[in-house]
Amino acid sequence: MRAGEGAERREARLAWRLVAPALATILLIALFPLLWTVWESVHLHDLRMPWLGRPFIGAANYLEAFRDARFWGALGHTLLFTVVTVTLELGLGCVLALAMNRAFRGRAVVRAAVLIPWAIPTVVAALLWRFIFEGQTGIANTLLVDAGLVRDPPVWFIHSGLAWVPVVLADVWKTTPFVALLLLAGLQNIDASLYEAARIDGASAWRQFRYVTLPLLKPAILVALIFRTLDAFRVFDLIYVMTGGGPGTSTEPIALYTFNSLLQNLRFGYGSALSVIVFLITFALALGYIRFLGAGLTETRA
Amino acid sequence: MCLGLLLALGCGRAPAGGPAVVTFPGSALGAEGQVLRRQLERFAALRPDIRVVQRPTPDAADQRHQLYVQWLNAGASDPDILQLDVVWTPEFAAAGWILNLDRFHPATNAFFPATVTANQWHGRLYAVPWFVDVGMLYWRTDLMSAPPATFADLAREASHAQADRGLRYGLVWQGARYEGLVTVFSEYLGGFGGRILDGGTVTVSSPAGVRALTAMRDEIYRDGIVPQSALTWHEEESRFAFQNGEAAFMRNWPYAYALMEDTAASRVAGRYAVATMPAAPGGRPTAALGGAQLAINARSDHPEAAWAVVEYLTRPEQMLERARGVGQFPTRPALYAEPELARALAIPPAQARAIIEHAVPRPVTPVYTQLSEILQIDLHRALTRQQEPAAALAHAAREMQALLDRVGLGEGGPGAGR
Repeated sequence: MRAGEGAERREARLAWRLVAPALATILLIALFPLLWTVWESVHLHDLRMPWLGRPFIGAANYLEAFRDARFWGALGHTLLFTVVTVTLELGLGCVLALAMNRAFRGRAVVRAAVLIPWAIPTVVAALLWRFIFEGQTGIANTLLVDAGLVRDPPVWFIHSGLAWVPVVLADVWKTTPFVALLLLAGLQNIDASLYEAARIDGASAWRQFRYVTLPLLKPAILVALIFRTLDAFRVFDLIYVMTGGGPGTSTEPIALYTFNSLLQNLRFGYGSALSVIVFLITFALALGYIRFLGAGLTETRA
Repeated sequence: MCLGLLLALGCGRAPAGGPAVVTFPGSALGAEGQVLRRQLERFAALRPDIRVVQRPTPDAADQRHQLYVQWLNAGASDPDILQLDVVWTPEFAAAGWILNLDRFHPATNAFFPATVTANQWHGRLYAVPWFVDVGMLYWRTDLMSAPPATFADLAREASHAQADRGLRYGLVWQGARYEGLVTVFSEYLGGFGGRILDGGTVTVSSPAGVRALTAMRDEIYRDGIVPQSALTWHEEESRFAFQNGEAAFMRNWPYAYALMEDTAASRVAGRYAVATMPAAPGGRPTAALGGAQLAINARSDHPEAAWAVVEYLTRPEQMLERARGVGQFPTRPALYAEPELARALAIPPAQARAIIEHAVPRPVTPVYTQLSEILQIDLHRALTRQQEPAAALAHAAREMQALLDRVGLGEGGPGAGR
């Protein structure tokens, strides 16, 4: 007995020793920067104004953010971008996945081709789409005029509303393939005999989709949702390249504003407070999704 | 760049008694790098007691600024010499990062006054003007006989060129939301008799400011002489439009002049000249001031040696060599009478000098970059018709004043700097 207990304890000690490097790494690269950011966020730390010192100012940076119209604007833009792009990407991705799931000639080629936009670096995609929509005689405007859809083509990037169109298009173009692929994997896990049974019961194509495909696809949809939402919420490079947040600050997302405060203006305190706020929001989103996802998984298993 | 890196790796601090090692992260690329290397070689022959080591740094202003701030914040004594953009000097001076150069008794009256003003903080000189850059009006000599003196003349000539000569644009400038927009606006503002800042008070929303911004907006939407696309343009897009013969006027920096003389790429070679930007009654023609300056790290171990380098590089003959090699404009007015400069520069020196004499520094304040960011956003909002000029400028003025007050630089504040 005693020997067994000792061995168990030794084993436990060994286990701790073995995971220690991994734990230390996580602490060092995840927790430490996070805590440092929190510490910075409660100080006045302006790299460009060292004469102000680095005093503790409590929640002042957070209060400044809450009173800052540009912050609320950026948060609103981020939410708008997230809701619109994720909805479009999920809808289109679903259609694409259903199409690719069918047996047809050249399916392998189509599946590979669909992934091309996803494989292109975001910055390159952003430059491409900016070029398409640039100026009054850009590619998009020429096509629109030739098709007789507009007579007086707009300069897309100088309208606070229209500037979103190329941005959203670029993101949807680039990330729909990713969503489609995730959903396709989900579709292929659905047992074909279920459709057979549904057909025998006389279910229409729509009813098959609604009562067989959709419920069984739920885990894949939730995975796609969580990835895309968190990604869209952190959107930075695409908008940085395409509009720089303009015109004015009409398309500025929260990540770009944070970057601006931290690395352009070198306001480490205020920028850190913004980072912490973004972290808390994404953390809450992830937490919500994980609960939702967990429930979804158990529900479909039941 | 590789050479610079090797040099940097190859030598540390000199042992006592050896030459004083001075590090200098100046532009090391292309023709500019070649000129600088030649000059430093000659300096080495002249002063064997000083060894200058070049440090590679990014050429993009933003990146270089970020790097400098990180180094200086960490209290590094290296690099000893800094190449500063004209709007950084007060920021670095107020932070205590660069030396007050008055102790070396520089002959400030030998430089253009505006370049000296831009490099002073609390009345003391912190950097020596190295070369100067100014905003100017390019006009087509085949379309008119003289440049316009007022904004109204300019609008008339531009519309005329569009209507009768079939030019696509009347005037092109830089309207994207970036620092360039503030420089263009500052020229209109000066032309209407306004200023961005008066001491610690923000005056950009004055009636002159509103008139200046309204004039820019009217050029786009009322007169149709400036294309709406210009609100996404930087320097190069404007140059392409002008060199393709699509515009009667262009506001740009001197660099475009030599490039557009190339007949292979340019349709307007030999058919343009430069002048100061126009002014409205009650205003004064204004040129935004840019360019580079040399400063010395306040923590340098060898300030005397660093000064010897700065003093050497800013001598008249070195400036002439820079003009010859890279086409950069000397900061010493006396040189503009030299026949050698006329051979070196694409723009006739007398014309260049006349424009430089209208140069006005952007607000000389340690928080210039932050003020400019606020202004860029509100200018762009007004120009893209999200807001009326008066409302946009009032908003900008409020935010800029709040910033100045917060950091103690506002009217009645304790004042920063030491």
